[in-house]
Amino acid sequence: MLDFFQSLSDGVLFGSTYALIGIGFTLVFGVMHKLNLSYAAASVGGAYCGLLVLQVFAGAPPVVVFFCAFLAGGLLGWLVYLTCFHFIPISNPLATLMATVGMLLLIDEIIVHLTAGMPVGYPAMFDDVMLRMGEFTVRGDLLMVFAVSMLCMGGLLALLYKTRLGLATRAVSQQTVAALLCGIRVGQVNAMTFVITGLLGGIAGAMIGASVGTLSPLLTTPLTTKGLIVTVIGGLGSVPGAIIAGLLVGGFENVLQQYRGVTERDLYVMLLLFVFLVFRPGGLFAPKGGRD
Amino acid sequence: MDFYFGLAQIIGVHTLIGLSAYIVLLTGQVSLAQAGFFAVGAYVAGMLTVLAGWAILPALAASAVLGAVVACAVGFPALRVKGLMLVIVTLAFGEGVRLFFFNFDYQVAKGGVKLGPLGSEGFRQIRYFPENGWTTMDVMLFIWVFVTLAMALLWWFDRSRYGAVLRAVGEDELAAQSVGLNLTAVKVSAMTIGGAIAGLGGGIYAHYTTHIEHASFGILLATFALAYPILGGLGSVFGTLLAAMFVQGFLVEGLRFLGDWRNLLFGALIVLAMNVRPKGFLDAPTLLGLKRLFGGKSGAA
Repeated sequence: MLDFFQSLSDGVLFGSTYALIGIGFTLVFGVMHKLNLSYAAASVGGAYCGLLVLQVFAGAPPVVVFFCAFLAGGLLGWLVYLTCFHFIPISNPLATLMATVGMLLLIDEIIVHLTAGMPVGYPAMFDDVMLRMGEFTVRGDLLMVFAVSMLCMGGLLALLYKTRLGLATRAVSQQTVAALLCGIRVGQVNAMTFVITGLLGGIAGAMIGASVGTLSPLLTTPLTTKGLIVTVIGGLGSVPGAIIAGLLVGGFENVLQQYRGVTERDLYVMLLLFVFLVFRPGGLFAPKGGRD
Repeated sequence: MDFYFGLAQIIGVHTLIGLSAYIVLLTGQVSLAQAGFFAVGAYVAGMLTVLAGWAILPALAASAVLGAVVACAVGFPALRVKGLMLVIVTLAFGEGVRLFFFNFDYQVAKGGVKLGPLGSEGFRQIRYFPENGWTTMDVMLFIWVFVTLAMALLWWFDRSRYGAVLRAVGEDELAAQSVGLNLTAVKVSAMTIGGAIAGLGGGIYAHYTTHIEHASFGILLATFALAYPILGGLGSVFGTLLAAMFVQGFLVEGLRFLGDWRNLLFGALIVLAMNVRPKGFLDAPTLLGLKRLFGGKSGAA
C-alpha cells in the first residue's frame, strides 16, 4: 500500500509537467482551432537552449538555466508561429498541421545533430533534499518541479483572467469573428498565444530535464503523445481540464510503472485515453456546446 | 541495377502507405494511425509465412483483411470525435500498436532455431522471398503490381459515386449530412479501405526487409504516410505517387551525400512546401493545366 501511495505521489508531482505541455496544446487549440504538433519538441528544444548558458558561464546556477529555457521556449514558440501558421491560409488546416509536423522533425533532428544523439545531463535543484514522513518520502527536486509548474499555471491563469491580453485571448477563442469586429488584432493575439505557450513549454522542458536528470531527443515523441492525451482527457480547449488531466495521467502512469514495468506503462495510458473516448468523449471539462 | 530495384521497392511500399492515408484524407479526416495498421499487417504476414508456413498471397490477403478489421474497429470510437481530436486519437493508437509489438513475444522453435517476434529485438528471418528464389526484380515487380492495383482502385473510386461521396464529406460535413449521407458509414468505410491498403503494404514490407521491429513503425512512418498525399495534393492519386518518389528517391536516397544534414532538410522542406504550396504539388489549378496540356478537354474537371 505504501508503494502505491509513494508512486502515486511521485507521479502526480511529475505530472505537473504533463499539465504544462497539455496547457500549451489546449491554448493554441482554443485560440486558433489548430493543433501545433511541434509544441513538445519545441519545449524540449527550449530546455536544450537553456543549457547553452552553461557553455558561456560554466557553473551558472540552475535557476539561470531554467530562466533561459523559459525565454528560449518563448522565442521558439514565436518561430513556430511564423513558419507554420502566419503565412499559410487559415482555410487550409491540413497544410498547417503538416507544417507543424515538419517543424517537429526539424527540431528533433537539430537536437540530434548538435548533441550527436547522446543524452545530456541537466542541472537540478534540491535534488539532495528528501522530505520524510515515516517510510513515505517526497523527493525535493520533484517538489520543486511541482511548485514551479503550479507557479507558472497560476501566472497563466492570472494573465488569462486579469489582463487585457488575456481578455483578448479569451475573446478570440470564443468567437474569432466577433473579436475581430470589436477591433482585436487577431493575428497579434495568435502570435502572443504562441509566445506564451512557448514560455510555458520551455519551463516544462526544463522541469522535465531537472527531474529526470538528463535530456534526450527521445523525449519528444512520448511527450507529444502524453501532452495530447492530457489535452483530450481534460477536454480540448480547457485549461483547468488540462491541469487536472496532467496530474491524473502522471499519477496513473507512475502507479502502473510500479506494477507493470516501464515498457508496458505507456500502453495503459493509451488505454485510459480510449476509455475516456468511449465513455466521456468530450473530456473532463468539455466546453458547453461550443465545439466546432 | 539491384540498387534501383531496391529503391523502387521502397517507393512502392511507401506509395501504398501514402495511398492508405490519401483515402482517409479525402473524407477530411487526418489519421496518424496508418503506421499502426501497417505494423499489424507486417507482423501478421510475417508470422503467417514464417510460423504457419503459408504462401505469400494468402498471407498478404490475411494482413490486408486484418488491417481493415483493426481500422474499422478503431474507426468507430475514434470517429465519434471530429477533426483535430481524431489526429490525437489516431496518434495515440499508432503509438499504442508500436508499444504492443514492443512487448509482444511469440517464438516457436523450428528446425532448432527459435523464430517469431521477440519484443524489442523485433522479428527476424522473414525469408520467404530468398527461400523461394525470388530475385530483387521479381520482388519489385510483385510490389508494383499491388501498387498499380491500389492506385487503379482509388482512381476508379474518384470517378464513381463513392468518390464523390467521400469528397463531399471532406468538403463540408454539414452539407453532406443534409443531403442524406451517413457520415459515420462514409468515414468508417474510408478508414477500413485505408486500413486494408496499409495492412497489405505492411505485409509486403515485412517480406522485403526480412526483419521488422517496433521502432520502424513509429510516428515518423505515420508522418511520412500523411506527408505523401498532403505534399502531393489531394486532387489526384498521382500526387501521392509523385510525392513518394520525390521524398524517397530524391530526399532520402538522392541527398545521401549530405549525411546527417539530409534529415534536417526533410523537416525544413516540409515546412517550406506547405508555405509555398499549401494545397500540394498537384493542386486543382495545376491538374486543370495538365489536363489542358494532354487532353484538351478541361470542362470535365
